[in-house]
Amino acid sequence: MAEKIVVDARGMACPGPITKLVRAYRNAKNGDIIEVVATDPGFKPDVEAWVKRTGNELVELKEGDGVIRAVIKVTAKK
Amino acid sequence: MAKGLAIVMFSGEAEKFIPLAVLTQTAANLGVPVKIFVTGYATLYFTKNKPEPRFTKEFEDMASKLLEGMKKLNMPSWYDIVKEAKETGDVKIYVCSLMAEVIGLKKEDLDPIVDDMVGAAFFMGETADYQVIFI
Repeated sequence: MAEKIVVDARGMACPGPITKLVRAYRNAKNGDIIEVVATDPGFKPDVEAWVKRTGNELVELKEGDGVIRAVIKVTAKK
Repeated sequence: MAKGLAIVMFSGEAEKFIPLAVLTQTAANLGVPVKIFVTGYATLYFTKNKPEPRFTKEFEDMASKLLEGMKKLNMPSWYDIVKEAKETGDVKIYVCSLMAEVIGLKKEDLDPIVDDMVGAAFFMGETADYQVIFI
């Protein structure tokens, strides 16, 4: 069963949010959805780079009220 | 992207340990292998009885702001970030055998995060197709 994992990285600075995402990703499986909320202004380009590098799918990337929300579909697990 | 990231950690000032930690953690997060060669003034900070690295006197004003900001963000120490990166990804730390010999260090004196004591030829061979950063 696909799961939805929520990662709250608000208040963390680079590279904290990506580190927290990677920690969640380690235990995830293909089909799972990981939602990350972060306030680090560098998170937007960073999460795009991470998705590109790891080959997972970025479903949504939104910014509002000082919070960046990224929804990732896990597709690159071997 | 290169096959991996090679970091030559030469400096011993506290501010230089921040990019070491951040670059190592970032590469580990992206699945990029990292090999760190510890030499020069950095060597002492990779031993069991390591002192705390000190900030350069000329940058004192910035250093206090830096420490304050890092505390506010609950940022872990450089050591904890590197340790975490080793758990996250493929990160190896090597201490330069020449520098160790010069300051009288043996393998058993090294901090547990260090993987081995090696020569420069080994490191260059291992990282021939890596991107190299000198800190």
